[in-house]
Amino acid sequence: MAVGVLVDLTKCIGCGSCTVACKMYNGNKWIDNRVPSSGEKAELADENWTVVKKHKVSKTSVSDSDPKEVWRFVKRQCLHCKDPGCVSSCFAKAFQKTEEGPVIYYPHNCVGCRYCMLACPFSVPKFEWNKTIPVLTKCMLCAGRLKKGELPACVSACPTNVMKFGEREALLAEAKRIIADDSRYVQYIYGEEEAGGTSWLYISDMPFEQLGFKMNVPKKPITRYSSKYMHFTPIFGAVWGIILTGIYFFTKRRAKVKKEAGKKDT
Amino acid sequence: MVTWRRKPSIKIHLLVKGLKMRPDNSDNIIDLKNDENPEILVKQDNEGAVSRRNFIRFAAGTGIVAVSAVGCGGPAGGEGWFPAQYNEQGNFPPHVRGRVPINPGNVSITRDNAKCILCGQCTEACSKMEAVMFHYELPLIDDIPCINCGQCSLWCPTGAITEVDDTARFLEALEDPNVHVVVQTAPSTRVGLGEEFGMPAGTNVEGSQVAALKALGVDTVLDTNFAADLTIMEEAKELVRRLKRELDEPIPQFTSCCPGWVRFCEYFYPDLIPNLSTTRSPMGILGAMIKTYYAEKRGIDPKNIFSVSIMPCTAKKYEAVRPEMNNVGRKLGDPLMRDTDLVLTTRELARLIKMRKIDFLNLESAPYDKMLSEYTGAGAIFGVTGGVMEAAVRTAYTFITGENPPASLLEFQPVRGLTGMREAELEIPSVGKVNVAVIAGMGNAHKILDQVRAGKSKWQFVEFMACPGGCISGGGQPRTALPPSPELHTARIDSIYSLDEKSTIRLCHENPEIKTVYKDYLGEPNSELAEQLLHTHFDKDYHKHLTPKKSV
Repeated sequence: MAVGVLVDLTKCIGCGSCTVACKMYNGNKWIDNRVPSSGEKAELADENWTVVKKHKVSKTSVSDSDPKEVWRFVKRQCLHCKDPGCVSSCFAKAFQKTEEGPVIYYPHNCVGCRYCMLACPFSVPKFEWNKTIPVLTKCMLCAGRLKKGELPACVSACPTNVMKFGEREALLAEAKRIIADDSRYVQYIYGEEEAGGTSWLYISDMPFEQLGFKMNVPKKPITRYSSKYMHFTPIFGAVWGIILTGIYFFTKRRAKVKKEAGKKDT
Repeated sequence: MVTWRRKPSIKIHLLVKGLKMRPDNSDNIIDLKNDENPEILVKQDNEGAVSRRNFIRFAAGTGIVAVSAVGCGGPAGGEGWFPAQYNEQGNFPPHVRGRVPINPGNVSITRDNAKCILCGQCTEACSKMEAVMFHYELPLIDDIPCINCGQCSLWCPTGAITEVDDTARFLEALEDPNVHVVVQTAPSTRVGLGEEFGMPAGTNVEGSQVAALKALGVDTVLDTNFAADLTIMEEAKELVRRLKRELDEPIPQFTSCCPGWVRFCEYFYPDLIPNLSTTRSPMGILGAMIKTYYAEKRGIDPKNIFSVSIMPCTAKKYEAVRPEMNNVGRKLGDPLMRDTDLVLTTRELARLIKMRKIDFLNLESAPYDKMLSEYTGAGAIFGVTGGVMEAAVRTAYTFITGENPPASLLEFQPVRGLTGMREAELEIPSVGKVNVAVIAGMGNAHKILDQVRAGKSKWQFVEFMACPGGCISGGGQPRTALPPSPELHTARIDSIYSLDEKSTIRLCHENPEIKTVYKDYLGEPNSELAEQLLHTHFDKDYHKHLTPKKSV
């Protein structure tokens, strides 16, 4: 029973309503002079939890053999993995995955180590480098609105219905039906298996690698890579403690013996 | 040391007295205002004074509460210590409705993201009034469809959408001593500009506008109304030639003065481009005349002329940079030379006047410069919807019959008003019945265009204006009424019609200056030189940037 959002990139006209709604709901500042939130130079940043990035890609159609430039707009934000790397990397429990789907960040737990930034395969968490007491920031899928039965702010603002909010499994089935029915779509659902599956799913008519999507993200959840040896941590701790204690007694005794031997000599 | 210790206690006492925290002891209350010596107060009453220790306790306690309150604020969706309602984001409206897409490369309009509140009024204006947004199939191709009309900027309640500000380039040209700055002012800026300075809607500020431009340091101020007369000469002649089948172009003839409409036609009805009149807009025509006729007569090198037009319109900014708008440049062998170098909207002109601290309300009226500025009543009404039609019909009547039109055509009521689509039928001897129609707002255009496309049209001449009410409510006009109301439009329209009624000459072909220009320079309407300078062609490939929806 986890929620998700299906993004149909063919419907996006690049108006940036979602970025405005995100800023309005989360009270983030406009930093367009530093990092724009829409356009060709748009990037996720501490104040930009979602951005709409413009991509110019070349398209070869059946009727026209010459490749033609087309514009596509890609909305980016936290994908809310089913098994998130940020959550497993955070020893302070500042990142927590909820049952409903959103991955929530609690700044008062955060110690500012930024392991999450390394753990995230999509480079989503951003650090407030400009602040005196910085914390991490990222999209939280408007978990507060979801609790009240409302749509995430960005989804509610879209004039062309690019995004559809619902239950992830139902949306996945719908996405599969859409791309099977329409041959113009790329036969791939981004987010179905990336990093073990994400709450946000994307379908597109242009190849994802041309639209700035990371295609080398492992299909296996990020947490699986470390779980093999990380579950030895308590045993390792205990054993290491015993070894160190043993060495301590050994060296102590050796020093004592040496001291006594020295006394005898004199 | 003693005085040092006493001083703070006086201050604390006064503070506490002011807060009325002291137990009410009327015997000890002293009116502080009348008390000239606070030392007496200390001697008489130090029971109510807060000791230093208590004050520090109080301050520290407040500090702990304040720090705790600050620490409680979590992000939206987070679970802080305070109840949920304090964690809620305050300024998010109950429902948001999106906004129009604006390409960063748009030469006409721009948007300040930080001011947008997602009220959705721009999408309403764009989709309902202008039938652009939502009227194309997705996915996009390689353009964000926009007809540059700027109506969204008039409806935007926070002023997030504005015209692209070109005032800096204008000021730069004014400061260059080698550049001869020529400004032309559109028919409808004179009834709008006054509103920026608190005058009632529709006030005619023609003279003050010229005076303000002179005060800004412009070398010559000309009137686009003259070019409107010239446009009519060319367009009416073209209409007559189409009606008499002398031209191999289809009927009905569409006007092409409105750049928003031209772009709309190129996007959505590319098959009807041959119907568009090849006559350029008054701005384009005057731009061409300034760099040829005016330059020759004044003995100025056209390269040193910086031609600026003050327009009520954001789409004119786009028209000026269209690749084919370099007729003079092509004639003189310098294709990079633009006919119109810069377009400023009415709002930008007002901003310049305010920036230079010109007292607009008390300016003494100044006349337009002689040459290319005399106009007739027919040219004046170009600024309102139906005006081009009325002016063209008057002159076309004369071109066909050789005599001046009857009085009914001078007050051609059926094409006047604020309704989106108006029709009229008139009898012209030797041609017979002529059906004309007037469209304002592209949302009303589909009805006629679909019929023309199907070959079922009864019209011979159709006027299209992208903005409701015509140029008087163009996207560059003052935003003094929000949303723009019909009363505002009517006031501006009435002001323009009264200009026509007051004028002694009400027919374009009787304008003495027009006669001079044709005699001295152009020859006759639709002559070879006129075709070269005053006519244009349209982009038949522009529709490839989008896929129009089949049914609206």
